[in-house]
Amino acid sequence: MNSIYLLIPLGLLLLALSVWAFFWAVGADQFDDLDSPGVQILLDDDRTPPDGQVDGSRDA
Amino acid sequence: MDPVVSETHCFHCGSLVPKGVSFAVNAGGTSRPVCCAGCAAAANLILAQGLGRYYEFREAPSTPPAAARNWSIFDREAALRRYTHERTGGERDASLQIEGLHCVACAWLIENSLLRERGVTQIHVNPGTARAEVRFDPRLINFSRVLAHIQAVGFVPLPLSFSGGSDADAAERRAALKRLAVAGFGMMQLMTYAVSLYAGLMQGIAPELQQFLRFVSLIVATPVVLYSAQPFFVSAWRSVRSGMLGMDVPVALSIAAAYLWSVSSTLRGHGAVYFDSAVMFTFFLLLGRYIEMSLRHRSGLQHDALARLLPQSVLRLGGNQAERVTPDELRPGERVRLLPGERVPADGEIESGATEVDESLLTGESAPRLRGPGDALIAGTLNLSNVVEMSVTRMGQDSTLAAISRLLARAHSSRPRVADVADRVAAWFVVAVLLLAAGLALYWWQQDPARAFPTALAVLVVTCPCALSLATPVALAAATTRLARTGLLVARGRALERLASADCILFDKTGTLTRGEPRLEEVNLLDGRLSRERCLALAAALESHSGHPLARAFSHLTPAPNVSEVCCAAGSGVEGRIDGMRYRIGRREYVLQLCAAGGPLPSAADDNSHTDVALGDTVGLLAVFRLRDALRGDARETLRQLQGLGLKAHIASGDSEGAVAAVTAQLGEVGASSHMTADAKLALVQALQREGHRVVMVGDGVNDAPVLAAADVSLAIASGTDLAQVNADVVLLGDGLGALVCAVGTSRHMLRIIRQNLAWAVLYNATAVPLAASGWLEPWMAALGMSASSLLVVANAMRLVARPARRRAPAPPDFVGPVHA
Repeated sequence: MNSIYLLIPLGLLLLALSVWAFFWAVGADQFDDLDSPGVQILLDDDRTPPDGQVDGSRDA
Repeated sequence: MDPVVSETHCFHCGSLVPKGVSFAVNAGGTSRPVCCAGCAAAANLILAQGLGRYYEFREAPSTPPAAARNWSIFDREAALRRYTHERTGGERDASLQIEGLHCVACAWLIENSLLRERGVTQIHVNPGTARAEVRFDPRLINFSRVLAHIQAVGFVPLPLSFSGGSDADAAERRAALKRLAVAGFGMMQLMTYAVSLYAGLMQGIAPELQQFLRFVSLIVATPVVLYSAQPFFVSAWRSVRSGMLGMDVPVALSIAAAYLWSVSSTLRGHGAVYFDSAVMFTFFLLLGRYIEMSLRHRSGLQHDALARLLPQSVLRLGGNQAERVTPDELRPGERVRLLPGERVPADGEIESGATEVDESLLTGESAPRLRGPGDALIAGTLNLSNVVEMSVTRMGQDSTLAAISRLLARAHSSRPRVADVADRVAAWFVVAVLLLAAGLALYWWQQDPARAFPTALAVLVVTCPCALSLATPVALAAATTRLARTGLLVARGRALERLASADCILFDKTGTLTRGEPRLEEVNLLDGRLSRERCLALAAALESHSGHPLARAFSHLTPAPNVSEVCCAAGSGVEGRIDGMRYRIGRREYVLQLCAAGGPLPSAADDNSHTDVALGDTVGLLAVFRLRDALRGDARETLRQLQGLGLKAHIASGDSEGAVAAVTAQLGEVGASSHMTADAKLALVQALQREGHRVVMVGDGVNDAPVLAAADVSLAIASGTDLAQVNADVVLLGDGLGALVCAVGTSRHMLRIIRQNLAWAVLYNATAVPLAASGWLEPWMAALGMSASSLLVVANAMRLVARPARRRAPAPPDFVGPVHA
């Protein structure tokens, strides 16, 4: 039974930790855009663009 | 080199490739047709940068690129200070609103394309809000180049001035998320203690262990009540002070009472604790509020409509030099030179010159007005024909345009009468609940003092109009999510309720059933002297100097260089000298005046459904361009399906009978009125409403803004004018009308679900209140029942999202009607 006196405070610590982590995530813009990241991985290409095309943009 | 006659669609923007135009891009080795030089340039740039995946992942065809603009005005020191924010180290931050941004792929495209520019260090584009945050180094790249680059890939950036606190939404969302998280984590933790305590009550528990668990519960519950539930206390206090009892009063009261009672029990060491009830209650209420808030923010259309109607830059005359500035920088008394095709930047008076002005924005009348010296010009109207100089009298928030948009905003905010009624009923409900709880406490105090507080609390918790108040917002949120997937943006959720019961649908013609802009449909060479390409280039070069709406049909073509001596003849056409030769474009008679002899008169005459524009030189006519405002591809099918749903369709157009008849001939059975001014449309809507009809108005333009506001539900097509977008209840993002059918279907389904939810909530309260009042329910049971009931309501609403969309086969984006033989 005495284990409760250790485990519950530990649980409280964990609770505080998770709330802190969540607050950090909210503060770090993690919840501002929930749509993009899921699709981004599909869009981002490992292939590099053809040579000489970087900075090759111009105004239409 | 005639292209194949069958319909081809543009690789970039998806619209019909006009006959006689042959642009193509090379996408991954295959040649794909595009409709115009603008689309070709954008697609080529995207493909050259290796970002061709955009085309695989985008959810809808892109918006046709707008005519290239000169952004250099934003490089001036004053504009940089206004629109960007300097960081230590010299880099600058800018916030841009991006038009034409539909999906995640669009956001990805802009980010990746821009990051390839040297000097752009950071960019984030949020597809939800269509906002881009860009960081760039002004020593390596000009601000104007950043903007021009976004335009080059096919979007229109709109720099937002840095003063505005437009991040209020984000701040509100973050605060709500944090509150919700604290309550959620707290609730999960507390439940474990609460279960142990309840088990202890039944099986016996060591007193010191019970006391320990209660103290731990106190520790967990305190931040939930003091931090998470704070909005309820604030709002309850406000409503008490204003003398109008809102729903938050019993909520705040029950949370506070449960918490304080439990604290006192814990400290005294005996008595019951209700931490679990208080926390669970807080969490579920916050959840409901959060859903409601996301719905409100989703629209993303709330930002300044005014800025979009004003020109990006304006030529200010000072002393003996002229300077391009942003309209923000104008001051009363300053003089401005207006070129044809420019929008008036501020209210003012013409000092010299005379011109035609398109004031349809204000009057609803599309015919241009002639304005001369001394006449007033109004901000946002369009100068069509000549150069004039004006002096500024009022600008920005003082202008007529600002006043109009404020009026419209007010008309909208005052509209949901239903909500008012609900609030008044709620106030009485709250008073009744409070009286009931107090009466019960008093009654039980005399019968059995130990039961007095738990009973009163159970009644307070159980009557919490949680399911009742969740029933509508949750269903609205679900329906909105569902509709967003089909390209419909619901700006005002309440409109969906009205849409479900609508029985009459009114269409504007131009820009709604049709695309609203003339498209080049056919090039008719009358003379073999010049090639088709040369004729198109000449036409584009001349028309680029005209502000006439028809000129827009040529804006996507590459104009011929070396144009000089341009002069616009109001209502007739444009004349100019290109490579030494004089050319005219416009009405046939006007063009023929250039060659004294007169040329062969082609037989075809205008039949209202299309317009012919002639091009000629001093020898004779060279070509005739046929422009047509084509029907949207799915207009006929949509109308038929809407009629199948029991809606009476009617077309109210400002155009002539012939033009309207040409459209109705293609649409089948539909009522139509022609020559309708904005007033007449308004009268028609009101007459229908008096007859007891619920009217849906589908419009595009600013000139139907008052009509849109008067209708029970207003829908705007996103490609229409911007002010109308902001003032419509529902905005169609895509280019097709098909989503309308889905909107009606979904709204009706939503109404059914709301009714089921309300019925359940009423049933639940009707059975639970007597149980609670008689002392049968412990507060924790009440809280559990309340939560279960809320979850049931949420689950029921989620069926709206899960329901597979009944999609029809996509219709071709354009439907060009049978040729009038």
